[in-house]
Amino acid sequence: MSHERPPSPVEDVPAPARPLEIVAALGTGGLLTLMLLSNSTMAAHTTPLFSSLTAHAVGSIIAALALCAVWLLRGTARALPRQNRAPLWAYLGGLSGALTVMLTSTSANSALALTGTLAIGLAGQVVLALVFDLFGAMGLERRRPRKQDLIALLAIIAGALLIILARGLGA
Amino acid sequence: MSVMILLAFLGGALVTLSRQINGRLAVETSALQSSFWNHFVGFAALAAVTVLAGSFWPEGAATAPWLAWIGGALGVAFVASGSWLVPRLGAAMTGGLLVAGQMLSGVVLDLVRGADAILWMQLAGVALILAGVILSRR
Repeated sequence: MSHERPPSPVEDVPAPARPLEIVAALGTGGLLTLMLLSNSTMAAHTTPLFSSLTAHAVGSIIAALALCAVWLLRGTARALPRQNRAPLWAYLGGLSGALTVMLTSTSANSALALTGTLAIGLAGQVVLALVFDLFGAMGLERRRPRKQDLIALLAIIAGALLIILARGLGA
Repeated sequence: MSVMILLAFLGGALVTLSRQINGRLAVETSALQSSFWNHFVGFAALAAVTVLAGSFWPEGAATAPWLAWIGGALGVAFVASGSWLVPRLGAAMTGGLLVAGQMLSGVVLDLVRGADAILWMQLAGVALILAGVILSRR
């Protein structure tokens, strides 16, 4: 995190994604596959609600332990600077995540099935992300995607839809 | 049916929303703190729903394999990483690349487990995604 990007003017074209960030994102996506495998195993044994509840409980404990470890290693003096200017709503991202489980487990059990839920969810995810970037939502940087970024996104979405369909039709 | 389509669409949109909010918190604090609050607040909300639903310990919980319990630990790294990436890559590129990684690893998992899926569609999907990732680089 030592490499800060120079501040760019509002509505500037975004700097292209750098290799480290791309590799991190791809690896994190891989983590998501394992996480969903784990959570869906729990949901199959119990309920989607219980699965999400335990995942958040275990996550809270692990994150708290990790924070303690970071603070111990860095020393508490450095860990508690008066940097905390985050508005209250910035702490509520977890509400949205908790709600996601309710919505998707409902639609996955309808005629849409998992395939339809994933495909339509992908659309919802990308459409809102583009809007957020254009407006700089939640106080993050505004950015207009380059044409090349849009083509890249389109290729990724098309590929993802093919893979989702490959499962839905093959099962 | 159209209600279900709306729910599925909103489910995806909420993923982007929570990542944007968590990304903002990470800018002000740290990616790990953001991940902690995400899980803690989410837990509180789900605990409230659980109380309303009145089922605290479903039958299968005791017999669930260890694999079923580690999702939360993976989630900590997932949310922390997403919160770190969003301010750097933007919401669209972060979402796109996370989906790319999810799909590529998903195909590998499917192949390893011998899951039923149409192979040529999977391979075409992988090729498209790799092309997209390469395009996002320059």
